[in-house]
Amino acid sequence: MSQAMNGAAIEATGLVRAFGRVRALDGLDLTVRAGEILGLVGPNGAGKTTFIRSVAGLLRPTAGHLTVLGEAPGRRVAVHIGYMTQSAALYEDLPVRDNLMFFAQLFGLPRDEARSRTAAALVVVELTGKERVPIRHLSGGMRQLTNLACAMVHGPKLLLLDEPTVGIDPVLRLKLWDHFRELNEGGTTILVTTHVMDEAERCHRVALIAAGRMIAVGAPQELLRAAGVGTIEEAYLVLRERHANGGTP
Amino acid sequence: MRLSRIAAIALRILRQFRHDPRTVALIMIVPLVVMALIGYLIGDPGKEPLPVAVVNLDAGADMPSGHVSLGAAIAAALDRNGQLAVEPSASAQAATERVRSGAVAGAVVLPADLTQEVLGGAPVSIDVVVMGTNPGLQGPVIGAMQEAIANLAKTAGAAAAGFKAPPLSIRPVPLEGGVGLSPLDYDAPILLTFFAFFLTFLLTSVSFLRERSSGTLERLMASPASRLEVLLGYLLGFIGFAMAQALLILGYATWVLDVRIAGSIWLVLLVIAILLIGVVNLGIALSFYARNELQVVQFIPLVLIPQVFLGGLIWPVQTMWPPLRWLSQLFPLTHSTVALRAVMVGGEGFGDIAGRLLALLAFSVAMVAIGVVALRKQRA
Repeated sequence: MSQAMNGAAIEATGLVRAFGRVRALDGLDLTVRAGEILGLVGPNGAGKTTFIRSVAGLLRPTAGHLTVLGEAPGRRVAVHIGYMTQSAALYEDLPVRDNLMFFAQLFGLPRDEARSRTAAALVVVELTGKERVPIRHLSGGMRQLTNLACAMVHGPKLLLLDEPTVGIDPVLRLKLWDHFRELNEGGTTILVTTHVMDEAERCHRVALIAAGRMIAVGAPQELLRAAGVGTIEEAYLVLRERHANGGTP
Repeated sequence: MRLSRIAAIALRILRQFRHDPRTVALIMIVPLVVMALIGYLIGDPGKEPLPVAVVNLDAGADMPSGHVSLGAAIAAALDRNGQLAVEPSASAQAATERVRSGAVAGAVVLPADLTQEVLGGAPVSIDVVVMGTNPGLQGPVIGAMQEAIANLAKTAGAAAAGFKAPPLSIRPVPLEGGVGLSPLDYDAPILLTFFAFFLTFLLTSVSFLRERSSGTLERLMASPASRLEVLLGYLLGFIGFAMAQALLILGYATWVLDVRIAGSIWLVLLVIAILLIGVVNLGIALSFYARNELQVVQFIPLVLIPQVFLGGLIWPVQTMWPPLRWLSQLFPLTHSTVALRAVMVGGEGFGDIAGRLLALLAFSVAMVAIGVVALRKQRA
């Protein structure tokens, strides 16, 4: 956490997003501080992806308040956001480099800068030498690395990672987390969703959510202490129980 | 080999169909619709007669048996022909104007001295004015005239002894284009517009579907790019590609097949470009209603068959039941076919096809609007 932690990168208060009669977000309060890695933890259907998509400007909140980097989510602030989708969203026919160049230019980088940033991003994710390989010939892990490179090629201030390590082997998972930390040390705020609990422990702070609401938020150690257990997994269950019974998180 | 395994596979396929009602509907409905259309369009009953202007200037001649007018006889024969709707016209000039405006398929001009000359044994040729760009329009008119003259010879020969086959002939007068052109000359514009439409629609809808299913559309929408920028990017990319295809077809038609292109090649490309703006957006809009490539393919007959059958590509629009005729005016291929034939076969200019261009433009603007609305669903 090299950056100042006083500002808020994302601020959600009473955030509601309904799909028909289902409220995927049901009055969520959450602040992501500038410069931190915040892990959003919850089971499937807890509202993690809905929250990330709202921050990315893809979903309009039904009610409540949401600011991203001090602005309402949308095209204006989108320049400063990198969004790594759950499954690798890439152009299968295009080589790795063309994918990166495309997203760099989509975010408004001039050609020369896009080229140098692409080269730099490929170094970061250790894909140099694979520039000319079409995505469809890449392994699942390399796709995910390319996916990350596409999300960060334009140098975003805020990186949204939606379950970035699903289906990734343990070795590559550790490597991806090294990249996340490296990017964070370079000043990028990271919001990462996961239901892999040991990943949560790598975050500066963890927000536990269930059914579109906040259960508890704090540093991993704080949560473990508060729940009086040894793993985030157990902490989640204990704190959710406590929350459901009306206790304070 | 175990029967139960084979049965399990067969039953699974049938079960899958049950969960895909759209495919089933398409398999059942499309052949019926197509057969109904073809049955209607090929069969005579129910078809509207083709409007034809007849100018009868023939003064006739007084014979011992009484006053004879071959002109009146021919006009009456045309009138009796169920395929034509004859409208009398006062002068050749007025009738020609009706042909030019497209109000009638052709104009038959019966000269003033027709009966006199024929009785005197002199050969007479009767002018049939046609546009010369659409064989579906000029063919029936010329055919009906040939029939009328042949019948005249029969009845007249029976009525008056010594009056053999009158030395009558038909002289087609194409205002543009021609009547002796090869079928390919007439059909090249159709092939051009059909391929441009079909391939662009297929490419756009499939590639947009992939954009959606691969998640890259999500990424595009989370970027600073606006919906309009995305649409314009798509337009430019696909139209560039489709124009290259159009040039290839045109080049092959001109140099290899020796097809006539009387008008400006730029005007041909303009017609195609305007058409394709609409097609790209139609493809984008419809791709939102498809979950996979197979479903996109299912849209093809829905989009193409009515246009091909009712748009004047095969049978002239003018002979269709009026509600179908009005419907055909909503189809872009109707207008692009007429416009391309006018330019390529008839050598017409920008001003002559401006109305058709406007219709195509209206289609394209409507489709762009639908495309923007469809994209809005992606960012809500």
